[in-house]
Amino acid sequence: MSKFIIQVNSAAYGCASSYSAYRFAKAAIENGHSIEKVFFYQDGVLNTNHLNSPASDEFDLKQAWIDLHQRHGVALVNCVSAALRRGVLSESDAKENQYSHWNMQPPFIMGGLGELVIGIETADRLVSF
Amino acid sequence: MKKLCIIFRQAPHGTAHGREGLDLSLLSASFEQEVSLIFTDEGLLTLLQDQDPESVGAKDYIATLGALPLYDIETVLVCQDSMLELGLQQTDFRIDVEQRSAEEISSHLANADEVIVF
Repeated sequence: MSKFIIQVNSAAYGCASSYSAYRFAKAAIENGHSIEKVFFYQDGVLNTNHLNSPASDEFDLKQAWIDLHQRHGVALVNCVSAALRRGVLSESDAKENQYSHWNMQPPFIMGGLGELVIGIETADRLVSF
Repeated sequence: MKKLCIIFRQAPHGTAHGREGLDLSLLSASFEQEVSLIFTDEGLLTLLQDQDPESVGAKDYIATLGALPLYDIETVLVCQDSMLELGLQQTDFRIDVEQRSAEEISSHLANADEVIVF
């Protein structure tokens, strides 16, 4: 059994690779492996925008990530600098920058790139999408 | 400590791949990982001298390439085939790099723990 860290580099919509990352994570867990964390980098941070609102008959990838966290305890970590550049802010980021709105909330959390590197070091394998 | 190999495949300023790849390279090295870089395809354009990224609204992140030795990133490989395709010479590059054949790059990748492509 292996311990994986998943890196997601593409947006939730418009590119299949984030969905592939989700399918990989889910399948790995169902087959007895563990997912140490999912790290959102580059455009991947757009997966965590709480305002993603797909039509009711479309797959809701943001919600799928949240379900993965709730069912299996997978940490969902954004690269904070990549997120801020792309307009994805937590409540504390918004307050720090004097904005009255924010669009990222738990269970997604902000972290640094160090979280990715520590994850790479402690996991058996990094898989990037 | 793991051996991380970070590959740069895209031109430097049209997307954020290069910038975010270099950020990860430096951060990984500062977290005591053994980091090597490979420049291939249009990623080689990242290494060109006399660029002025700010004139196209991009951050001048390539100036940071000069700091690689300070981060103990000593292995910087470029793909010989890509150099030929793009008509580039060693003297076109702003930093010291090592030219490698496709076979040599393959064996370097086989020796890495993780490969991350930007």
